[in-house]
Amino acid sequence: MTLRRAAYRTFMFVMALALVAALWEGYKLVGPKDGGSLFGVSILPRSNDTAMPHVWDMLSRYARAERRGSDTQIWQVVLSGAWYSLRLSLVGFVLGGSIGVGLAILMARFKRAEQGLLPYLVISQTVPLIALAPLVVAWGGKLEIGAFVWPRWLSASVLGAFLAFFPISVGSLRGLTSAPGAAVELMSSYAATWRQTLWKLRFPAAVPFMVPAFKLGASGAVIGVVVAEISTGLKGGIGRLIIEYAREATADPAKVFTAVFGAAALGLTMAGLVALVDLVVMRNRPKEVAA
Amino acid sequence: MSAVHVAGVSKIFNQGTPKQVDALVDVNLTVEAGDFVSLIGPSGCGKSTLLRLIANLLEPTTGSVTVNGKSSAQARLDQDYGMAFQQAGLFDWRTVAKNIELPLELKGWDKEKRRARALEMLELVKLPEFAELYPWQLSGGMQQRIAIARALAAHPQLLLMDEPFGALDEMTREYMQGELLRICRETKTTVVFVTHSIPEAVYLSNRVVVMSPRPGRITKLIDVDLGRDRSEDTRNADAFFHGITAVREALRGTHADHANEVRGVEDR
Repeated sequence: MTLRRAAYRTFMFVMALALVAALWEGYKLVGPKDGGSLFGVSILPRSNDTAMPHVWDMLSRYARAERRGSDTQIWQVVLSGAWYSLRLSLVGFVLGGSIGVGLAILMARFKRAEQGLLPYLVISQTVPLIALAPLVVAWGGKLEIGAFVWPRWLSASVLGAFLAFFPISVGSLRGLTSAPGAAVELMSSYAATWRQTLWKLRFPAAVPFMVPAFKLGASGAVIGVVVAEISTGLKGGIGRLIIEYAREATADPAKVFTAVFGAAALGLTMAGLVALVDLVVMRNRPKEVAA
Repeated sequence: MSAVHVAGVSKIFNQGTPKQVDALVDVNLTVEAGDFVSLIGPSGCGKSTLLRLIANLLEPTTGSVTVNGKSSAQARLDQDYGMAFQQAGLFDWRTVAKNIELPLELKGWDKEKRRARALEMLELVKLPEFAELYPWQLSGGMQQRIAIARALAAHPQLLLMDEPFGALDEMTREYMQGELLRICRETKTTVVFVTHSIPEAVYLSNRVVVMSPRPGRITKLIDVDLGRDRSEDTRNADAFFHGITAVREALRGTHADHANEVRGVEDR
């Protein structure tokens, strides 16, 4: 049954990709080559091959050399860039997840903490990441704790954590406070301590809320890391590849898309990891009624 | 020593604000060990509040509650009572046996002792083959039996129940009532039972406490003389119908008062 569902989901995913590709090619077929403008405002994107390369050009680009005279094919470069960024994202995700869950516990425990903290959490998400990235790098560079020297990549992870912690803390808070009143009363009728109630009731009850929050957090961590790579020029990751390839967009338009898709795949991989954990944790829970 | 002693208890919510509610006013009640006492009355009469005061889930505004001769707070810490609610409230992520083990786990029992007790309780509620299933795989009546097993797992002398059969269909309900009487007989448990149902209160109890709202108070205590050993035949006994009539009349009194109040307001 679950196998059939998985097959169905995969099928729908492939269909959705095919649909996007078809729309892309369809627009290329009918759209104006040099874009359309109304009263001097351009409203339709250009559909020429420089702005919108053919789907097959983008895909076949993966199999060709990264640059003239090089013998590494571009998929190898994109893959190793994605692997690098994935590791940074994982660090950011774990960091952001711990902070997010920690804050959620604090807010679930103390009403006052929730009232005091929540506005600042919301404000924190309005700070533009691009502006924050160089600051974090600068602060990190000055940091030295004993033998610990702040590596440059850690700044990218911290920015990933910065985007990851918010949905995780808000979702976990909702989850931790979702246990029904009767269950909380039951625990207090057993004279359970707050900590016992947290572990035996609130956390298990929170799982269905925490999983989507962690998925959001996982893709947030990827975005944070990629943007940080771009704005701080950190080498080795997918973000760096995106700006490098974007510079060659006129000569080799399909190239930048290979890196963009790499970043998207990265986000999906992270969300997939969370989904996998979800499957394991929720294996004994009542199955959702099929809609 | 009485199992429960409630003396001069009042409970006022939101005291001193426009939303003030006199949930209970000057309530006195004694439940002797081995008693089965039902609290019955219309919504808002404070029967659930009274149960929660006995359970120390709420603190009285005035008066005192004693359970097994101790303060209700101490009784709660000592797990002197077990509790069951209308919703079975089993944890979806725990197997049936693990659900029953929960109170023992919180008490710090070791694993084997816990498991042995859980199996013993499953025998008691006649569901021994369901230990490793999950609650959502069971019917509502079975879930409620597991909830009772959980409430009794630590062998408390007192069982507090808040409309435990309220969500069950009539046939399951009558079966559960019989089972509850059997279980209480076997375990010699004292019960305080909140219900909306007159036949349920009469069938189960040796004493029915009739309550009335605004403010919540006890209006009448009715002794039910059906003996200890009740069976399905009891439901046809004259004494059973007499009990029902007595409780119904007592309740009607509370409604009539209430109706007058409302009329009084309308006339103005």
